[in-house]
Amino acid sequence: MKKIEVRDLTVDYGEREERFTALDGVSFSVKSGEFVSVVGSSGCGKSTLLSVLEGITRPSGGTAVIDGAPIVGPGTDRGVVFQHYSLFPWMTARHNVTFGVKQARKDLSPKRRLEVADEFLNQVGLEGFKDKYPSQLSGGMQQRVAIARALAMDAEILLMDEPFGALDAKNRIKLQELLLRLWEGRERKKTVVFVTHDIDEAILLSDRVVMLTNSPGRVHGEILVPFPRPRGRAKLVRTPEYSKLRSELLSLLFNDLSRKIGGEEVVL
Amino acid sequence: MKLFLRGSHLLFVLFLLVQLLPDARPSQAIYSVGFAVAAETASLLFAVLTLRTQRREAHLFFDLLAFVYASLIVWELLTAKFSILRAALFPPPGMIIAQIASDAGKITLNIRSSLGIILEGHALGLAAGIPLGLFLGWSARLGSVAAYVSKFLGSIPPVVYIPYGIALLPTFRSVSVLVIFLATFWPVLAGTMSGVLNVERRIIDSARVLNVSRFSMLFHIILPASLPQIFIGCNQGLSVSFVLLTSAEMIGARSGMGYYVKNYSDLGDYTRTVAGVLVIGTVVSTVMFFSNKLQNYLLRWKS
Repeated sequence: MKKIEVRDLTVDYGEREERFTALDGVSFSVKSGEFVSVVGSSGCGKSTLLSVLEGITRPSGGTAVIDGAPIVGPGTDRGVVFQHYSLFPWMTARHNVTFGVKQARKDLSPKRRLEVADEFLNQVGLEGFKDKYPSQLSGGMQQRVAIARALAMDAEILLMDEPFGALDAKNRIKLQELLLRLWEGRERKKTVVFVTHDIDEAILLSDRVVMLTNSPGRVHGEILVPFPRPRGRAKLVRTPEYSKLRSELLSLLFNDLSRKIGGEEVVL
Repeated sequence: MKLFLRGSHLLFVLFLLVQLLPDARPSQAIYSVGFAVAAETASLLFAVLTLRTQRREAHLFFDLLAFVYASLIVWELLTAKFSILRAALFPPPGMIIAQIASDAGKITLNIRSSLGIILEGHALGLAAGIPLGLFLGWSARLGSVAAYVSKFLGSIPPVVYIPYGIALLPTFRSVSVLVIFLATFWPVLAGTMSGVLNVERRIIDSARVLNVSRFSMLFHIILPASLPQIFIGCNQGLSVSFVLLTSAEMIGARSGMGYYVKNYSDLGDYTRTVAGVLVIGTVVSTVMFFSNKLQNYLLRWKS
């Protein structure tokens, strides 16, 4: 069953001469419980695509649909994790999570909200840091809180915009594995759209990878990631299938580049 | 042992030694000695209490105390001990302290009158400036016009409203409250508006994806996010308020600290004049100190 469907999506920014097309006729869909990564180099419009799904950006043309209904604005049926500033700096880790829970699950009592927040903060390994402010947490810990909040809100859809893009290599790997464990460990899997420019990250996490090209953003191709779950990074990266898929994705990415340099769309 | 080698303690001892010199004019030294002993006792108590914690704040406190002792020594030498400064204009510290002690009741009444006006005008200014600033800043279109209007109105020094206010309002007190209100309102309004206009877009996006209500957006997101700039306006208003009020009290009041200083200097009582000036300094810095403490507490989430 299709959870998210994007058809012929176009997004333009600016007026007249300064008009800039960020997305041009993008179409793809995500099944319920599927983990899809959107990959492309920087400036390809992948964040714009996500902000349309978040309900922040209005499309200039085409449609974006969730559960058969067009997206008209933000909603708590979607949990969102940004690269920066997902958290409110004046709220403690716990307060950030309860604030999200309060927005999404109005039926819960304040006491129950706190319990839910604590439960998810424990799950992301922040037992001792619940009363800290974001400025007192490392970048990795801040993203853990943001993930805990998105999960605690119990939205069916998770939208993640390069959530690990600003982390150092070690923390990035740790958080990828945490996300993998949390997502695979659930009975009813959440539908995830994950934006990244990191091919290895996309392969490790997703069921399918959607490739976007640069200015204007168009879908360049889609590749299924057939590896069985639960996945482990250490084992996966040593298999020949992994290397093959990786080079396929890379060539897709570079194909696009060489086409541009050779053709008329030279941007250099 | 290092505890007793601090500059402040050495200066305290030096101050006591200075008292052994013969007086060139009456000094009521018992009061200044009493004051210094009280301060020293308090500082020793403070040193014991903060032995393990708050090293930096403790340093600041002792440096401040050292400055007070040094001033007392110089003051005492120039007046009581060698009578270098003119006796009528420069009373020795002991006499000023004695005067403050004997006028304590009167001074308290005057402080209460001044602080009452400041608090009332300031509170009204905050209560009007912050919500209006949030609203105007948030409705960005309105804000761009409002920014100019508030800049124009805010550029008028609030003191010029005094004559008009006197014509409009029945009592000196209500005019003073109006002036303090205006002195607070404009900088707070401008601070709040610029705070709202400068809130990081991504923070607003984060709130929007949580589908917050308009009320929540204004008071749970925009307000705390603009707090640092609101406080800048607030502090500006507070320090201008003290300047305005004490000046106003010198012109037309029958009470207040400005009145106390002006009245006694007109009567040629310079002991009380200097006493009043020192008391005003103490009151203003105490208010600023607690206002800063409160602001730091409310901004404790900043790194």
